[in-house]
Amino acid sequence: MTSKARNNPAAVLERLIFNNRPAVIALCVLISIFLFWNAAQVRPETSFEKMIPLKHPYIEKMLEHRNDLANLGNSVRISVESIEGDIFNKDYMETLRQISDEAFYIPGVDRSGLRSLWSPNVRWTEVTEEGFAGGEVIPQTYDGSAESLEALRSNILKSGQVGRLVGNNFKSSIVEIPLMEEFPDPDDQSKMLKLDYQDFSHSLEDKIREKYQLQNPNVKIHIIGFAKKVGDLIDGLFGVALFFAFAIGITFVLLYWFTKCIKSTLAVLFSTLVAVGWQLGLLHLMGFGLDPYSMLVPFLVFAIGISHGVQKINGIAMASGTALDALTAARMAFRQLFVPGLVALSSDAVGFITLLLIDIGVIRELAIGASVGVAVIILTNLIFLPVLISYIGISKKAVRISRENAVKDSPLWRLISNFASPKVAPISIAIAASALLFGLWYGQNLKIGDLDQGAPELHADSRYNLDNDFVIHNYSTSSDVLVVMVKTPAEGCSSYSTLKAMDDLSWRMENTPGVQSVVSMVTVSKQVIKGMNEGNLKWETLSRNQHVLNNSIARADALYNTDCSLAPLLVFLEDHKAETLTTAVAAVEDFAAKNNTDQHQFLLAAGNAGIEAATNDVIAASETMMLIAVYSAVIIMCLITFRSVAATICVILPLVLTSVLGNALMAWMGIGVKVATLPVIALGVGIGVDYGIYIYSRLETFLRMGMPLQEAYYQTLKSTGKAVLFTGVCLAIGVATWIFSAIKFQADMGLMLTFMFLWNMFGAIWLLPALARFLIKPERLRQ
Amino acid sequence: MREPLSQAVDTNTVVTGLSHPWRSCIALLKVLPLCAALLFPSLYSMSATAKSEGVAAPSYSIESAAATSGLLLDVVRAGKRLISVGDHGHILYSDDEGQQWLQARVPTQQLLTAVYFVDDRYGWAVGHDALILATRDGGATWTRQYDDIEQESPLLDIWFQDRNHGYAVGAYGMLLETLDGGKEWQRIDDRLDNEDGYHLNAISAIGDAGIFIVGEMGVMFRSADWGQSWEVLAGPYQGSLFGIVAGSQPDHVLVYGLRGHIFRSADFGESWQETRVQTDSGSLQFGLASGTLLSNGDVLIVGHGGTVLRSSNAGESFSVSNRADRTSLAGVAEGTAGSLILVGQNGIYQTDANGNDLLDKQ
Repeated sequence: MTSKARNNPAAVLERLIFNNRPAVIALCVLISIFLFWNAAQVRPETSFEKMIPLKHPYIEKMLEHRNDLANLGNSVRISVESIEGDIFNKDYMETLRQISDEAFYIPGVDRSGLRSLWSPNVRWTEVTEEGFAGGEVIPQTYDGSAESLEALRSNILKSGQVGRLVGNNFKSSIVEIPLMEEFPDPDDQSKMLKLDYQDFSHSLEDKIREKYQLQNPNVKIHIIGFAKKVGDLIDGLFGVALFFAFAIGITFVLLYWFTKCIKSTLAVLFSTLVAVGWQLGLLHLMGFGLDPYSMLVPFLVFAIGISHGVQKINGIAMASGTALDALTAARMAFRQLFVPGLVALSSDAVGFITLLLIDIGVIRELAIGASVGVAVIILTNLIFLPVLISYIGISKKAVRISRENAVKDSPLWRLISNFASPKVAPISIAIAASALLFGLWYGQNLKIGDLDQGAPELHADSRYNLDNDFVIHNYSTSSDVLVVMVKTPAEGCSSYSTLKAMDDLSWRMENTPGVQSVVSMVTVSKQVIKGMNEGNLKWETLSRNQHVLNNSIARADALYNTDCSLAPLLVFLEDHKAETLTTAVAAVEDFAAKNNTDQHQFLLAAGNAGIEAATNDVIAASETMMLIAVYSAVIIMCLITFRSVAATICVILPLVLTSVLGNALMAWMGIGVKVATLPVIALGVGIGVDYGIYIYSRLETFLRMGMPLQEAYYQTLKSTGKAVLFTGVCLAIGVATWIFSAIKFQADMGLMLTFMFLWNMFGAIWLLPALARFLIKPERLRQ
Repeated sequence: MREPLSQAVDTNTVVTGLSHPWRSCIALLKVLPLCAALLFPSLYSMSATAKSEGVAAPSYSIESAAATSGLLLDVVRAGKRLISVGDHGHILYSDDEGQQWLQARVPTQQLLTAVYFVDDRYGWAVGHDALILATRDGGATWTRQYDDIEQESPLLDIWFQDRNHGYAVGAYGMLLETLDGGKEWQRIDDRLDNEDGYHLNAISAIGDAGIFIVGEMGVMFRSADWGQSWEVLAGPYQGSLFGIVAGSQPDHVLVYGLRGHIFRSADFGESWQETRVQTDSGSLQFGLASGTLLSNGDVLIVGHGGTVLRSSNAGESFSVSNRADRTSLAGVAEGTAGSLILVGQNGIYQTDANGNDLLDKQ
């Protein structure tokens, strides 16, 4: 290695950098000041638009009609449960009244739309001989007496609110609060404020949940709704940020154990944190915020930075054995390690870049952010770090240990080198082959999309999802809604033919497995027509009389737009599993193909289930493409580096085994392929290939020197095994903290990345030498 | 285009106006796929849906697993068989006392409002678009006999004296008669003194005394000569009446309607007594939709709010129970061993004598 020509690019770069050390340091300081200042302005961002495939036809249709669907309801529902007994008691009703009043005054609430048993817009109606009769469910005369509670019970029955505002078992009732995205500032009515979901979510916790559960121990409060979910998500995001400190702590300990030198430990941590700062600064300069996915990038940059820093320290420590001073050692290590480091980092970046193929904003930002991060590491940990070490040096103790290790025999590595022996290698290959087959077989159970009940972003046992469960089980509503948009010419939505077609579609959907119920203006129209005919069930159908129809939809406000050219049809699904979505979407598309005319078109899709169906579509289409892309990239990388097909196979096959087992693991853990887990494959393969490259390039060197395979592998392990092991552990620690994230998809990402990083490392150490035993002919390398 | 098909299927009849031999050929061609459909229903249901875009193709009701939990409006017996009709042209029948229901082939997707059988084979159903359907095989297959889309209103009840003579009643005073089992239906609205065109909600025979019609705003009509001449009665009530039950005694009539109102007459409607049904919270306020006379002489009436009323004394008083789900009920038939078959908003229920489910519904 030291006999390289003086004029190779690394040597030129080395002279350029180390002859101008003060300038390099000054430049780094200047860049750092600028980028850290930018980094400080990075804000968490929860643009949900970036999490969906904007180019998918469903989403395009949804965005096109976004304004018409706007009043479909961004509302929060507070379900107040009576723990002992039913809701018909004085104390419960009093607490409900106070909650209802309190919610009324929370900024951002659309006060006119607030609904609870106490609000005047919740009424009962009844058909009498004279026509409709009706009144407020809780009349002015209510006084909490037994008689008025009994009257309340009968009013509720007549109001049709059971299953909507009142739980099916009469043990809870709901305060429904519609929200305004923008609302006038209470202090200055001329100014408009944007609804801050996190603030709003916190005021629900403080002013409603905590306050009233404390005040009345017999009530339990459940809160659900988009705003609450987003609030909880943002809280979860900050939680992950705290893990960063934890990852730094563990890494510090490991680094010290590895280097036995506090100075270089601090130097590596410092330069890596500089890399993270630069990456965040650049992120802000590019106009990106920190979203729940790109949040992963600083962790990755940190882990990758540390592992490359360690390689540097390792190299400098070894070079210190022969060099006179720290500067010379640093220069030697730089010259030796710059090119392999660059290759490894480039392969990481190539892996990340393939993610750009997926048409989902967050994944693209993740790809860009991670690539930028890797580029930054080249500057900080390949250039800045050696310069830094050349000033401060490495402790004598560390140098001594490294020198001793170089000559000492290592029983551990000796043992592991047996993986290359002619006896063990066939067994390894057989085990790997059966594991591969098993993985392929079991991996067939892998599903696309989110598989759990409730909000998929949060854990099944998170408070939000428990609240959601409560509401689903006690009310006749589901939280998974597929919205079909029925488009007509202006003023056309109330024609008989359109309504009839909507009715047919509704019934078709209600006969589709996984569909719970369907609501549209037809539902309202039929109910009103029945009501106009004295509640007689024999009239509960659409009328061919246009005046009757127009009259009947007058009350269906939110279920068609202002010029009656678009009407949403809400299909409530039992869950959001991929099969449920596919079946429902296929039924709608089939119906649309047969029934779309000039007068009405059935368009997919809005609603959370519609978005998820589109996302699943994109994910399913991207998965294979991305696998091909990322594997092509790393294969080309290996072919260029080693100029050998055999070597490429030795490096790639362990990665394939990891990918296949990763799929099987996901199937077993019930994790679907989704926005969060798709990047894991590319990240895992892109970073995982590093181990193979490190090990194989060393192995090849020793083989060229004429050693037999097993001895060459032993020497390889002795020189780089520790660094490989350390890199794997470092990367795993960086992402493993995510497993504890309050946000489900972050936890899934953390789990899968930890598995990929560790298993790729294991695969490289275990399987690579076994494959080499069969594929590599040492004699030919020696020529 | 619907008429020729339905008439052609009605094989015993000579189709009026069908003189040209080509037309009969066309009619035959149209029957052929139908015959195939009877043999291979699943095959046909696919092609039927495929054809449903075409205006000319008759739209058949679609076989649907959810039909037993959709809106059903009437349930009757035809011999041992139970038959129920309702939304989307659904006609369901059961030969095992309501355990399992099969879906009949029905040439409509409209809401059907009532069904009547004169014996175990011959039956008729009515619905919206003034539709009249007929069956000759106890309800398994149906043909169209009459419709009138321009009318924009439904027929609401139907009654037959025998296999040939019957009446259908409907909204805005619609009254239809047939003398030949439905081959031809005549509008005979003007036989009734109903100038305001009140809805006619129900028609029924009262033993041997004659037939009875009730409707909107408490209107009542009776005919002692099986429908040739009708007499308007000054009813006891100004609110709408939805149904009639003939009592077990001659000339006994029970009528019921809005807000739990029930009236009884022992003299074919000459004089009336009101029966108020008392509940825990005052008198019953739920609208009553349908009723039946059980084999033991009890009278059963069902309605909104899951109301099931039973009287063992010819309607002088009723015991009341409400189903736990409070779902609106529209029809009732007698089951075996005191059980009931109820239909309504959410489909069919097999219940005990008080309307509580025997089995957990799926």
